[in-house]
Amino acid sequence: MSVASTLRAKWFWYSLLCVLSWGAWALLAKLGSNEIPAAAMQFLFTFGALPVAVALLIARRFKLEKSLKGIFYAVANGVLSGVGGLALFAAYRSGGNTSVITAATALYPMITVVLAVLILRERLTWVQVVGLAFAGAAIVIFSL
Amino acid sequence: MHLPPWFWFAAVVLISWGVVGLLQKLSTNYISAESSLIWLVVGFFLLQPVLYPGKVLFGYSARSLVWALLSGVFNALGAWALFAAMKNGGKASIVAPLTALYPLVVVLVAPVVLHESINRTQGLGVLCALVAVVLLST
Repeated sequence: MSVASTLRAKWFWYSLLCVLSWGAWALLAKLGSNEIPAAAMQFLFTFGALPVAVALLIARRFKLEKSLKGIFYAVANGVLSGVGGLALFAAYRSGGNTSVITAATALYPMITVVLAVLILRERLTWVQVVGLAFAGAAIVIFSL
Repeated sequence: MHLPPWFWFAAVVLISWGVVGLLQKLSTNYISAESSLIWLVVGFFLLQPVLYPGKVLFGYSARSLVWALLSGVFNALGAWALFAAMKNGGKASIVAPLTALYPLVVVLVAPVVLHESINRTQGLGVLCALVAVVLLST
């Protein structure tokens, strides 16, 4: 795909919006954490996320698939995401370098890849193996 | 070896969000990505009674409260944009690693907004982490 056609593609701009939004999220999380403790940050964060969920619900005309399994996994996702968010706010509040903490915590796909191999019996690609090696190197460097 | 305090919090983030990545795969096997985000926010709300900080909440500065709320808005907005990218013809194998680059925004903006800079060793670590996350998300 040429650069020009990528720049015309909607998905590219949505992806860029995602990167900028998540960058803003991390910075705002740090700024808020200077004063507000982790639990209160996560409490407020949840109310911030609510309008987006409501907008999606309206866009879908309140029609949600009735799959108990799907709903269970997604709600469990929320609970665990919240726990992770809480720990992220605590990490920012601890005063460590924001760029380092953001980069280190963004390494979570490393755990997903390992779990997918162990639980879903997916096979590691060589790209993922190289990725795991870089993740390991990053963690060792951060712990120096 | 002396590990900084943030290291342990980061480990909790890695493990919980690592499991979330797996559950995300499982949930989208049954329901759409948007429904998945809606139910995820329901999951967030299940934690609220435990997190409720009490009246102290009203004692924080308006500025910090706005930042905390906006962090939630932007996080969910980013998740929505990710779904939209995939729906609008973006291949998961390209969109996922591309969007994993959000720490780059922080690295570029932190010196201006937070007056923080990183030293060479930290910079090397961030670089390794960015390469890792791109390769792992493909």
